[in-house]
Amino acid sequence: MTDIGGSTGSISSDDQVLLADLGRMLDETDPPPGDLVERVQFAIALENLDVEVARWERMDALSGVRGGGQGTITFTVSDLTVMINLTKVGQRHRIDGWLVPAGEYGVEVRVAEHGSSCTTADEGGRFVLDEVPCGTTQIVVTVGDVSCLRTVVTPTIVL
Amino acid sequence: MRSGAETVTDVETAEVDPPWEGLTGAELHAACMHAARAGDRLAMNRLVAELTPLVWHVARGNGLDRHTAEDVVQTVWLALFTHLESLHDPKALAAWLITTTRREAQRPHGRKTPPLPLTDEFAESMPSTQPAPEDEAIRADRDRRIWQAFTRLPQRCQELLRMTVLAGRAEYQLVADALRIPRGSVGPTRGRCLNQLRDLLSSEGGVR
Repeated sequence: MTDIGGSTGSISSDDQVLLADLGRMLDETDPPPGDLVERVQFAIALENLDVEVARWERMDALSGVRGGGQGTITFTVSDLTVMINLTKVGQRHRIDGWLVPAGEYGVEVRVAEHGSSCTTADEGGRFVLDEVPCGTTQIVVTVGDVSCLRTVVTPTIVL
Repeated sequence: MRSGAETVTDVETAEVDPPWEGLTGAELHAACMHAARAGDRLAMNRLVAELTPLVWHVARGNGLDRHTAEDVVQTVWLALFTHLESLHDPKALAAWLITTTRREAQRPHGRKTPPLPLTDEFAESMPSTQPAPEDEAIRADRDRRIWQAFTRLPQRCQELLRMTVLAGRAEYQLVADALRIPRGSVGPTRGRCLNQLRDLLSSEGGVR
């Protein structure tokens, strides 16, 4: 084990042994998910990185959505809420979405290794994307008007 | 190697080693941040690969379940690359990541783990019913008891011990810098956390 204390620190050999055990245990029990680095790299592979990140509003009842391919997910950032409802159709998904407050904003769904699908929400804030492939997915919403465009992105989800 | 960091462009060719090739620690981060500011995606990816374990352990050490921690890790990286211009000192990178992850973990949206968490996760990662060589079985049993004791520590201790473990590894020397280990009060606090861990272990029939 590396000497954490250096010349000024004092850490007993008992503590060093326990820390080494702890390190091995954490490596085996609680490592980052194997695909997390790749998913982050996908999430940041955006043309424009001047973005706001929407947070996933998770409720316990919906926690099964991840990987399950069905259900409703809500993301929020400051004044914008993005709700999406997922329906599995064969190997693909239909995404029904709502933006609140409503506006005719651009919506892009990026799927790793499958490019992206784009649409525009209607004046009620609704949008539909059919035939979205499964995989690591990120939603990008462009809100505002020409004078002030903002880009809102979600963390990736695995659909 | 080092001088290469000054000549970064946003054009990458497969034939040329990136300027951070062979660098480690703060020098690696400085070279990658410099290139990332110029829009170099490979440099960003390298930082992500290098420091995601740190962000992960800070998120987990602040009580987030694994799913929420995954989201927070992504949010923190997106925030970094959005604000890269304002972070001038590469030595401040680890501290920035730690602080931002903590703040993000403490948002009300973050779902916390229940008081006695993770038994399912642990069971998934421990093939306890399979026949195994005796020493492996003993080690697995010991790891299980350390994990159970660890998850009963106060959150502050869990975070500090996770970061101490990382800081003890050569590639994460920057964590020690960010935490100012061993200066200040980190050392004594860590000692108390380890004593608490020992007490929990011995009250369960103990590893040591």
